[in-house]
Amino acid sequence: MEFDTLLSARALMGLSLVFHTFFTPLGIGLPLLLFIAEGMALKTGDQRYRQLARAWTPVVGLLFAVGAVSGTVLSFELGLLWPRFMEYAGGIIGMPFSLEGFAFFTEAIFLAIYIYGWNRMSAFAHWLVTIPIVISSALSAVFVISANAWMNTPEGFRVVDGQVVDVDPWDAMFNAAWLHEAIHGTLASYVVTGFSVAAVYAWLLWRKKPAVNARLGLQLAMAVAVVSIPLQIVAGDFAARRVAELQPVKFAAMEGQYETERGAPLRIGGIPVDGETKYAIEIPKLLSYLGYRDFNAEVLGLNDVPKEDRPNELLTHLSLQVMVGAGFALLFIAGWYWWAWWRRRKAEPGWLPGRWLSWALVASGFLSFAALQAGWFVTEFGRQPWVVYGYLRTSEAVTERDGILVFFVLFTLLYVVISIALIVALLKWPHGPKQPERLPGAAGREAESVA
Amino acid sequence: MSPELAAAGVALAAVMMYAMFGGADFGGGIWSLLAWGPRKQEQRLALEKAIGPVWETNHVWLILLVVTLFVVFPTAYAVIFEALYVPLFIALVGIVARGAAFAFRHYGQRESRLARQSLQWFSWASVLTPFTFGLVIGAVTGGHIEVDGSRVLSGPFAGWLGPFALMCGLIGLLICAFLAAAYMVPRTEGALQEDFRRRAIAASLALGAATTVAIPVAAADAEVFAGHLDDARVVAAMAVTAMLGLAALWALWTRRARLAPPLAAATVAGVVGAWGLAQHPYLLANALTYKEAAAERITVVSFLVALPIGSLILVPSLWLLYWTFSRETLRGEEIAH
Repeated sequence: MEFDTLLSARALMGLSLVFHTFFTPLGIGLPLLLFIAEGMALKTGDQRYRQLARAWTPVVGLLFAVGAVSGTVLSFELGLLWPRFMEYAGGIIGMPFSLEGFAFFTEAIFLAIYIYGWNRMSAFAHWLVTIPIVISSALSAVFVISANAWMNTPEGFRVVDGQVVDVDPWDAMFNAAWLHEAIHGTLASYVVTGFSVAAVYAWLLWRKKPAVNARLGLQLAMAVAVVSIPLQIVAGDFAARRVAELQPVKFAAMEGQYETERGAPLRIGGIPVDGETKYAIEIPKLLSYLGYRDFNAEVLGLNDVPKEDRPNELLTHLSLQVMVGAGFALLFIAGWYWWAWWRRRKAEPGWLPGRWLSWALVASGFLSFAALQAGWFVTEFGRQPWVVYGYLRTSEAVTERDGILVFFVLFTLLYVVISIALIVALLKWPHGPKQPERLPGAAGREAESVA
Repeated sequence: MSPELAAAGVALAAVMMYAMFGGADFGGGIWSLLAWGPRKQEQRLALEKAIGPVWETNHVWLILLVVTLFVVFPTAYAVIFEALYVPLFIALVGIVARGAAFAFRHYGQRESRLARQSLQWFSWASVLTPFTFGLVIGAVTGGHIEVDGSRVLSGPFAGWLGPFALMCGLIGLLICAFLAAAYMVPRTEGALQEDFRRRAIAASLALGAATTVAIPVAAADAEVFAGHLDDARVVAAMAVTAMLGLAALWALWTRRARLAPPLAAATVAGVVGAWGLAQHPYLLANALTYKEAAAERITVVSFLVALPIGSLILVPSLWLLYWTFSRETLRGEEIAH
């Protein structure tokens, strides 16, 4: 395969999106944890909750900062890599993008007030500051996902002689795929935050590393996890039904369905290549039911779709398997954790997860990210070969400039450096007492009482 | 005024805001790189502490500008980004390196190797990025980019390496250096304040000289733009800007510390404003006017309607942020967050 401009541009865009979506879910989910922790401190008077929020604050700052710059990269790359797409779509889906700009701006402002406001405002005022952060971060996700949804189910315009006319920005924003993508995509952030914070604490507790109120932190994170993961699975079912209805070709690729048939089976696992999904566990008629709530409903197969209009079914199907598999594993781990806690809560007030549960919790952090990234892969690979589904092909949207491969290599290196630095910085965190908080002044005193 | 013109005004305002806030932010990195003398470390710490709470916000203006461009002027966004992809990619590398480096230094362990290396990355990226943005502004203004409809005809190096573009790059750097130093004056005391005051005076003189020299350079290298410089409105804007610059210099000279930052900011807004007026009616000089580049009327109007509603939330929030963090004087030795 030749590494031409189209492939380089797709690789760079994909790389930037993957990098960005390591930070954004935490930028959305961690504020919720801060809101809960500071709220609990106010309600119960237990200062350990507040100390938790204090300990998380610099982590939130760091992750948000890297998320913000990687988001700037994306806003540039839309023009640098896909000028024809932006020329076509900018005026149609501009509304959610500009609203996202406002929401993100609001989040940045209140997050700054939160981070730097620890010793400048009352505990109550500081808790209040978390509210606009939680709301605006969730809203910015909803807005930006709505733009993505439009690429999947474009609405709110007509094309006459190759010209876009009769634009209705609101119709474009609230397109058919908007609701299910927004719910599924935003909930994913809370899932990732719950499990990845829990993973960090599980690891610290298991290795007996010093950390501020680790047991309480684990409980809080798992509380978020256990609420969000079942909701997410329900939302996923809803999303699958919408995709089956709105984008049957994508649905066929997701499920490795080649023949159009009634009573199609659900395929778990399997490798769809050359017109056949091999090695899959098939559950009769379940796919028809999941897609259309009818065991005998007809499901479109890829064989009835022209080759040039099909997505890559192998990548789409495997991504879906990873997402669904990880999702159910997360549900199981959350259930295991709370069941283990519930059984021992009276007998052992200082209960800590045992070895196997600890490992499962550590794994859940990785699984949650795998599920989130794989979920985006399903949406994006499944949309191909279109950038605007049914209207504009990705190959027609790409820049005519050369040398994109050079920038792909450059950004890969840059992201590798940043990722290494980030891992180094985060690994030193929980047991790095040489934090600025130790310096003299009010901030220092509070931090010492924390440590 | 047509909605398209109003939207172009919004885009210009976003450039102004980015220059006034983001510019000072880059300037902090420039002075960090150029820190010298016995108070080298204090200078760096004071700069870092001043930037800390607001650096994120400072750069959202850039996102607002990009969003405005692609929502309201999608053709201009596509053409400018395709034509100038090389400098824009370079600026992007600078933005990523700078943002990440600042975050590592600011939130990580101060005495680690990571923090020291981050400072280097941060400082150099603070020079690279505004310089490259200056080149882009110069290229957009210079009139050397050839376009047919929305197709770019000229090569990847057209327009942004000429004398006028390089001049704009230099002005970009000087704007940043001037603002950062001027903003630091009321926020520091004693010898440290004197350091920043001297730097602000030097930068203001250099900026004045560079913007003056830019006029004959434009006449030679950016004819369309230069042709607009004798419009009455542009002349008036340049005169007001020159007065503001002199007032800022006077405030610095006579140690009116509280007056220096607003006057410096107004001067920079004036420079950007005069540039914008002379650029009218083009978004890309000689190639694309704001009318040709605009999206459908309904999109432009919706954007203009969303703007004040969004501002209703944004403006008080921003005020709260700057009010909370700009009141106190910074001393080099006290860094806490």
